[in-house]
Amino acid sequence: MEFEAVIGLEIHVELNCVTKMFCDCPNRTSDEPNVNTCPVCLWFPGAMPRFSRDALEKASLLCLGLGAELQPVSAFDQKVYYYPDLPKGFQLSQAHLPLSRGGGIDITDEGGKPKRLRLHHIHMEEDVAKLVHEMEGRIPISLVDFNRAGVPLVEIVTEPDFRTPYEAMEFLKALRTQVRSVGSSECSMENGTMRVDANISIRPRGTAQMNTKVEVKNMNSVRHVGDAIAYEISRQGAAVQGGEAVILHTRLWDPEKKVTLPMRQKFEGPCVPDPSVPVIELSQDWIEKMRSRLPEMPAVKAERFVKQHGVTGEEATFLSSDAEVAGYFESLIGQGTAPRTAMHWLITQLMPAVRERKLELGSCPVTAERFAVLLKMLAQQEINANAAREVLTHMFDSDESPEAIVSARGFRQISDTTALDSLIDKVLAAQTAAVADVRSGQGKAMAFLIGQVMQASGGKANPKVIRELLTKKLGAAS
Amino acid sequence: MIDSVFTYRNPDTARAGEGQLNGLKIAIQPNISVAGWPTEAGSNALVNYKALEDATIVQRLRQAGASLCGSTRMSEFGFGLQDSSAGEALRQQAADAELVLDYMGESRLAALRAAVCGFKPSYGLVSRFGLVDLIPSMECCGVLSGSLKNIRDILKAIAGPDELDFSLPDEKIPDFSPQKIDPRKTTIGIIKEAQSNLPAGQEKPFRASVEELKKAGFNLQEMSLPDLSLFSLVHQIVGSVEASSCAGRYDSVRYGQRAPGAKNWNEMYLLSRGSAFGLLLKSYLFQGAYFQFERYQAFENACRIRAHLLKEMHRFASLTDFLVFPAVDNNPSDAPASLADTYAQFASTLFANVTGQPALYLPPVPGAGHPGFQLAGPRLSDSKLLALGEHILNTRREGK
Repeated sequence: MEFEAVIGLEIHVELNCVTKMFCDCPNRTSDEPNVNTCPVCLWFPGAMPRFSRDALEKASLLCLGLGAELQPVSAFDQKVYYYPDLPKGFQLSQAHLPLSRGGGIDITDEGGKPKRLRLHHIHMEEDVAKLVHEMEGRIPISLVDFNRAGVPLVEIVTEPDFRTPYEAMEFLKALRTQVRSVGSSECSMENGTMRVDANISIRPRGTAQMNTKVEVKNMNSVRHVGDAIAYEISRQGAAVQGGEAVILHTRLWDPEKKVTLPMRQKFEGPCVPDPSVPVIELSQDWIEKMRSRLPEMPAVKAERFVKQHGVTGEEATFLSSDAEVAGYFESLIGQGTAPRTAMHWLITQLMPAVRERKLELGSCPVTAERFAVLLKMLAQQEINANAAREVLTHMFDSDESPEAIVSARGFRQISDTTALDSLIDKVLAAQTAAVADVRSGQGKAMAFLIGQVMQASGGKANPKVIRELLTKKLGAAS
Repeated sequence: MIDSVFTYRNPDTARAGEGQLNGLKIAIQPNISVAGWPTEAGSNALVNYKALEDATIVQRLRQAGASLCGSTRMSEFGFGLQDSSAGEALRQQAADAELVLDYMGESRLAALRAAVCGFKPSYGLVSRFGLVDLIPSMECCGVLSGSLKNIRDILKAIAGPDELDFSLPDEKIPDFSPQKIDPRKTTIGIIKEAQSNLPAGQEKPFRASVEELKKAGFNLQEMSLPDLSLFSLVHQIVGSVEASSCAGRYDSVRYGQRAPGAKNWNEMYLLSRGSAFGLLLKSYLFQGAYFQFERYQAFENACRIRAHLLKEMHRFASLTDFLVFPAVDNNPSDAPASLADTYAQFASTLFANVTGQPALYLPPVPGAGHPGFQLAGPRLSDSKLLALGEHILNTRREGK
C-alpha cells in the first residue's frame, strides 16, 4: 500500500518586545539567570498580570502579516499543568478565543506548483521558566531560570495541509521571512525564538482519512524539521505495514542519531477563563491602524520588483525575502544604478563580501550611497569590472570615496587610444602566430590577444577599446 | 484576649498621617499584602511568607491617614469563617473598622456575628492588587464597622482605577459624598423564594425586617426568582474551579514548607502541596479539579447559568431601586465544617459574589427579634446603597 502523510505544524514565535508579556521586566532571556524577574513573573501571592500593549501590537502585526483575521474579541485562559517550569500551576494562553483565525502562506511545492498552506489560528501565550539540569559532583541538581517566564509568545497553528517535509521547510522559510519583515520577531530556530512542533499521521494515498497523529518536538533548524518529519513518516509507514497501530504520543527528535524517540507526556487539562486579564476587544479602527503600519510584505514586494525593475521572478523573490537586501537594492536604484547592475553586483559581489567579513548589510561600511558611486563609475566605463571588484575590497577598509580610491591606486581605465596603440603594437610584434590565426578568422585568437593587451596594461585597459583598435589594425571581423 | 484576635500587631501605629481617615484604626487580614508583614493567609502553604509590597488598598488607606493596627486570625485563604476572628477586633474595640475579603459573604456574616455593619462593594470597584486571591471572579474586599460613615470614608479612599490592576473595568466611579434617600420614592424588592427557602424559624425574623422597612415608608415589592437556588450551585462549581487553578501558585515550594522525604522534584511538589492545605480547602480544590478535568461541560453550563442569573438581577434593577435579602448564619458554632456545611452557611449571602453587585449587612435594632438583613443594589450603586443604610439607621435613632 502506498501512504501519504498528513502534517500540521504548531510554531511558537517569541516576540521581540522590550518587556515581558504581563510585567515590565526586560525580555532578555540570555542575561544571568533570574535577574529579569519581579513578583508578577514569579507569581508571588497578590501579583496581578498587566497585559503589555506592545505584545498585543507585535502579535497583531504578525497576524496581519500572515493574512490572518484579527478577532474582535479574544481572551486569556489558564492552561493548567503542574511542572517545575511553571510553579504557578497554570500558563496564561488563549485557548478558547484566539487573537486571530485563518490566514496562510503561499509556497511552491516540489512539482513547481503553487500551493497555499492555511493557518487555523494564532494565539498569544506566555513562556514558562527554563529548567537546567546539572550535576553537582555526583548529585544531579535541577535549576529554574525565570528570565524566560512571562516572555511574550504567539503560537501559530496550521491546518493539516502539508503532505511532505519539503512543504514544511518551504513554509517555515516563508513564515520566517514574513514575520521578520513585519518586525515582530527574529524567528531564529537556532536561538529558540522560533520553535516548531510537527503533528504527523499517515493514510493510504488518495483517501481522506484522518488517522492518529504523533507529535514531534525538539528540532532546532528548518533542516531538522524536514529530517524529523521524513523519519517519522517512514517510521509510521513501517509500523503500519508491520501490523502495528500508531498511538497518540509525543516524540523528540534526536539530531545526532537522526531518529525520533518517545518522550514522557506532560499532564495537561482543559483551560478555564482567566478572570484577571481583561478580555481583549479590538475595534475595527484599531485593526485598520495596525494594518496601515504593516510594511510591504515580501510576496507583494517581489511582484512589484518584477513589474517595476524588470528582474525575473526568482531574482525578485530572492531580493524581497530579506527586508535589508530589498531596501539596499531599491536604494541603489534610487541613486541611478540600473536595476540589473544593482541586482547583479549586490548578489554576486557585495553580499558574499559582507558575509565573508561577518558583517550585516545594513550596517557595513559600504553604504548604498558609496556602492552606487562605484557602480556609476563602472557604468560610465571609468573603471572596468576587475577594478571595481578591487575598489570594493578597499571600500571595506577605508572611508575614502570610490573616486579617491580609484585615483589614488590608479584603477582608472585606459581608454586613451594613443596610450593603448603602443601597447598593442608591442603585443602584435610578439604574438605573430596569434595574429596569423586572427587573420585566418579564428575568433579564439582575438580573445587571446585582448587578454595579452589587458595584461600588458596592468588590467587597466578598456577591453572594448582594445577590441576596436585590434580590429582596425588587423582588418579582421570582430 | 487580644492575641486570640490578632496574628500580627503593627508596632508602628504612630505613623498614621493626616487625611480624610485621620487616624482611623483599621484591622486587616493576613491575605492583604502589607510590605514586611507576615502574609500567610491562614495557610501552611504560605508559612513565613512576608509580602514584598503593599496592596493598593493598603497604600491608599495609609495615604488617607488611616492607622493599620494589625492583621486578624483568619480561615485558610479566607474561605468561610472557620477559625476566623473577623469582627472580633471591633467587638473588643481594638479597631474602628476591619477589612475582610468576601468570597461567599464572609464580611457580611462576620459583621452579623459582631453586630456591626458589613459592606461588600461592587466587583471591579476596588483593586485586587496585593490580595492573596482564591476565587478571582468573585472575591472583593469587604469593610466592617459600627459606623456606616467609616465604611463610606474607607470606600472613598480605596475605590477607583489602579494601574497595577488591569482587571478593573474602565467605568465611572460612584460619587461617595453623602446623599439623601426619600423612602416614598424608593422601591425595595423582596425575592419571594429568598423568603420561602429560609430554614425553619428564620422566616418570621425576616418578616420583621421587612416590617421595619415598611414602617420607614419604603415601597416594598414582591418579585419571583424561581432559580434562586442556582446561585449556590453556580458558586460551588465556578468558585471551586477558579480556586483549584488559582491555588496552584501556593505551591509550598518557594515559600511555605517543603514536605520532606521526596525521591524527586515532582514528588516533592506533590507531597508539599498535599501537606500544605487543610481539609476544607483541599476538598474544595479537589472539587474544582474534578469539574475542570472530568466535568468541564458542567463548568461551562455553570458559567451560562451565571450569565442568566446576572440578567435576572438586571431585570429586577429595572423594576426596583434595591433588594432586601435575609442574613442567616447557619453555622454560628464554627464547628469544623464540610464543604456542604460551608455552602449552607453562606446560602443567604453568596448571591452578591456570583453577580458582583454591592451588598450591605445591617445589624438589627437591639431586641427587634431578627438577625438583621442585607440590602443589595445594582453594580456601582455602592454610594446609594450606603445612603439607604444610613437612612435606615437614622430612622432608628430618631424613632428612639
